This record gives sequence, structure tokens and C-alpha cells, in this order.
Amino acid sequence: MSHSGTGPVVSFENVSKNYGSLKAVDRLSLDLRPGQTVALLGPNGAGKSTSLDMLLALRKPTSGKIRMFGSDPYHAVKSGRVGAMLQSGGLMPEVTVRELVTLVAGFHPRPVPPETTMKRAGIADIADQRVDRLSGGQTQRVRFALAIAGDCELIVLDEPTTAMDVETRQLFWANMKAEVAEGKTLLFATHYLEEADQAADRILVINRGRLLADGTPAEIKEKAGAKRMSFRLNQVDEPFLLGLPGLVNLEVRNDLVQIQTTDSDDTLYALLDAGYRPRELEVGSLGLEQAFIAITAEDDRAGEPATPADPVPAGFRQQENRETI
Amino acid sequence: MKGTLSLATAEVNRVRRNKRYLIFTVALPVMLYLIFAKQAATVYGVPFKAFYMVGMASFGAFAGAFNNNMIRISQERKDGWIRQLRLTPLPANAYVVAKILASMATTVPSIVVVLLLGRFYGGVTMPIWKWIAIAVAIWLGTLIFAALAVALGYMLRPDSVQPVAMLVYFFFTIFGGLWFPLSGGLRKFGEITPTYRIIAISTDVLANGTISMANVAVILIWLVGFVAFAVLAVRATAEAV
Repeated sequence: MSHSGTGPVVSFENVSKNYGSLKAVDRLSLDLRPGQTVALLGPNGAGKSTSLDMLLALRKPTSGKIRMFGSDPYHAVKSGRVGAMLQSGGLMPEVTVRELVTLVAGFHPRPVPPETTMKRAGIADIADQRVDRLSGGQTQRVRFALAIAGDCELIVLDEPTTAMDVETRQLFWANMKAEVAEGKTLLFATHYLEEADQAADRILVINRGRLLADGTPAEIKEKAGAKRMSFRLNQVDEPFLLGLPGLVNLEVRNDLVQIQTTDSDDTLYALLDAGYRPRELEVGSLGLEQAFIAITAEDDRAGEPATPADPVPAGFRQQENRETI
Repeated sequence: MKGTLSLATAEVNRVRRNKRYLIFTVALPVMLYLIFAKQAATVYGVPFKAFYMVGMASFGAFAGAFNNNMIRISQERKDGWIRQLRLTPLPANAYVVAKILASMATTVPSIVVVLLLGRFYGGVTMPIWKWIAIAVAIWLGTLIFAALAVALGYMLRPDSVQPVAMLVYFFFTIFGGLWFPLSGGLRKFGEITPTYRIIAISTDVLANGTISMANVAVILIWLVGFVAFAVLAVRATAEAV
């Protein structure tokens, strides 16, 4: 089924949430269109969970306005048009998986048959096990099943693949894509750049409560300088290195050169064409933390004086994010 | 309402599978009655075996409504089950309403089993309407404890809930005279408790078929107070659930 109207599924208008003096969410504005798969990407403490909590009527914004399907969040949730899975969501103990999925499906105006839901969530084989005796990954899948137990138009997931092993993650996203193919809108929070890259067609980068970037994965990676390279050179010519194509950031320590680049291929070819023969060459994905530094720095240059950029740790060795999803 | 009722049914099924619940709310009062009921004394104007029947029925039923609910609510709040329910189309108050409905259902066995025991083991006899009046008085009394369980369950973390549950429960059962009849200064003090008043209503019905409005008033004051306390506790924690 698909969203009938043409208006945004979700809209945040200048939404802020303060806990005392801490600005968990700071003047956040965004629109989600029907059928989009959107990743809310940010490090821990960026304001992702608070934003989703407010969207799902669990918390009230300090200021600003949130609309879902043109109504306030509480009534949108109670209309059964949203399915959600939060990190902090728990399960009722002392019942079997099947009993729980059946119970929650019964709360929905348009329930999905529990057997279908369990198949989609990959828990058909544990249907008769007790909920309080499952592993972390199994529990996570049951929570996902509860999010899709009703036929909803918007699915909201907060770090859905935490506690899942690699195989389960792949299965999870395969199932998720099948759901979205039916025209549903998906909003998920993650701190894995790769996960956002593979699953989303739009990424919202959020840090310290503020929206820093909004675009397709390709645009975001370009903005962040998505690759890191490191190599050793006998004679380092810094002005030349600074002129390399795609270069976003350069660090040199003795003969060790570390580069962030939007296009590692171009950067490398230019280096080789100039006659250099780099040793111990390594190319990897940029750690998310460094991606944020790049994006935050750009954000500051664009004239947002409010937040100082994170200090770059002296002589940092970039954290590699090689996790497979 | 349909969703709330199915949640209440699920709660009842959970309790039914819980052996501990049956032991503390049915088996323990039955055992105590079998051991202590047959004494020749007369208390509050009724035979001891009749007083003790009312006391043990209340003891089991209130334990079911109070300890069981309070510990589960606190744990389910910590685990995030209450949060999960708020993401479903169920109305916001469904969780609490379902808990109280389930509590009303699961305390019935404690009352019925002990009253039957009083009739057929203790040999307590009275007209049928008195049996019903006593059962209903105790049964409605469980609402007071269900409300207090909601309030404290929302306020306290699971690691502190057990001792508080024990303390509060011992206070109301001992000073309400559920274990042994009160006299003198202790009885004067016990009169402020709803538990004492529920026993008093039951023994009055048994002895002379009357219900004192003073007893009803004290019980209602506690009920209103605890319900208000529960509403405040649920509201105060709404953002942190």
C-alpha cells in the first residue's frame, strides 16, 4: 500500500529539545516524502533517539512543531499508520514469540497475519520459544516483528541492527527492502556510515542536535571526503600533495602521509603520474568520526558560528570502519 | 477497548503460568488457615475460624494485587515494555487499565478458595448474601492495592522495589489485623488502615448483617488517595518511560 496524499509523511519545523542547559535537538527542520528510505546518521549522543522519541510522541519538543500524516504525533501513532522499533523498547516476558506477535497485531486497525510477520522478521523458527529466553539478536528480530505487526505506511527504526551478527543484518535489510518496495516510507537511525550508504536513498547527518547535511549517500560522502589513504614517501612535497585532486584533508608526519579524499582513485593516479612511488599504501573507508569533522568544518565555514568544530586529536590514526553490514 | 481487553487477557495468562504467584496468593493462605484456624476464641464478635478466613482471604488477594503488580510494573518499565506499548495504537492508559483488570481477575481464586475452605474445613456458616458481601468487600479492597502498586511500580526501580513492597505490605497486613486480631492501642492505630476496615466490614456482616458507613468512608478515602497518587506517578514519569 502507498501513502495516499502528496504532503510530507513527516515534518519537523524548527524543533528543539532541551534537557536543562543541554540542547539535545537544536532547531531541526526536515520533511520526509512518501516512499523514501531515509537514514538519520550521527554518532552516539547526536540527538537521533531524542528526535525519534519526539516523532513518536514519547517526548514533547521544547519548541517547534512536528507533524506526521498531517496530524500531531500522538494521534498519528494511535491511528496505526506508524510501526516503530526503538532501542529502548522492551518485550513482555513469560509469553511465547507467537503469542506476543499475535497480541500486538491485534492492537492494529489493519493487522498483518502473525505468521506472515514472523516469516518476514525471520523468527518463524522460534515462534514457540519464550520471549524472555531469547538471545540478543533474536530479541532484536522480535522487536522488529512488533514494528511490522500492523499494515503501516511509515516504519521508524532506531539502530535496528545493533546486536545482530553479520548474517542476520543482511537478512534484516533484505526483508526491510521487501517492506519498502511496497511503497512504505522508512526512517532509520544509525551510526554506521556503511549501513546508511547501502540501505538509504537519503541521509540526514545530525550532530549535537543539529542537521549538518541532507542528501543522497553519494552527496554526503563527497561532502565528507569518504576515503582515507595513507602511505610513506621518501621526499614529501607538501605543496604538491595539497594540490592532489579530491583532497579534503592532509596530514604529514615525517615520511607518513595521511589523506582524506573524495576520490581515492583520482588522488592515487595523480600521485603516480607525478612519478611518486608511495610505499605501504593503504586505502580505506573514512571513519565516521572523521567524516563528521569534515562535515562540521564545512558547516562552520558556511557561516554557522554557533558550534566550534571538534578538535582533531593530535596525530590521530583514523579509525577504520570495516564492519560488514 | 478491544485491545486493552486482549492485553488484560494476556496478563492473566502470564499470571496463571507463574507458580510463585499461586504459592503466595493461594497456597500460603490455605496452608496457614489449615494450621491456625481451629481455635475456640471469639474475636470482633465472630468465631476465630470465621475471622481468620476473612483475614487469610484478604492476605492472599492483597498480595496478588500489590506485590505482584508492583514488581512487574517496575520491571516492565525498566525493560521498556511500557514504552513499546506506547508505540502501538493502544490508548495511552491501556497498560495501567489492563493491569488493574487482570489484577481483579487473578485475585478471585485467593478469595474464593479460602472462603470455600472456611465453609467446608472451618465449618463457617451464614446466608448466601453474606458470603457474597464479604467476597465483594475483599475483592473491591484489592483495588486500593492495585492502585498503590501502579504508583510505586512507576516510581521505583526494580532493585529497590522488593524491600519497599515487603515493608508496605507488612505494614498494612499487620496493622490491619490480617494475621491476628488487634486490641487496645494497636487496634486504635489499626483503625486508620483500609485493611482493618475491610476486615471490620466482613466481620460486621457476619456478626449482625450491618455495614458501617465509617468503614466504607475510610476505605474510599484510601482508594481515592492511592488512585490520585497513581495518576500523578504515571504522569510524572511519562517522559521517562
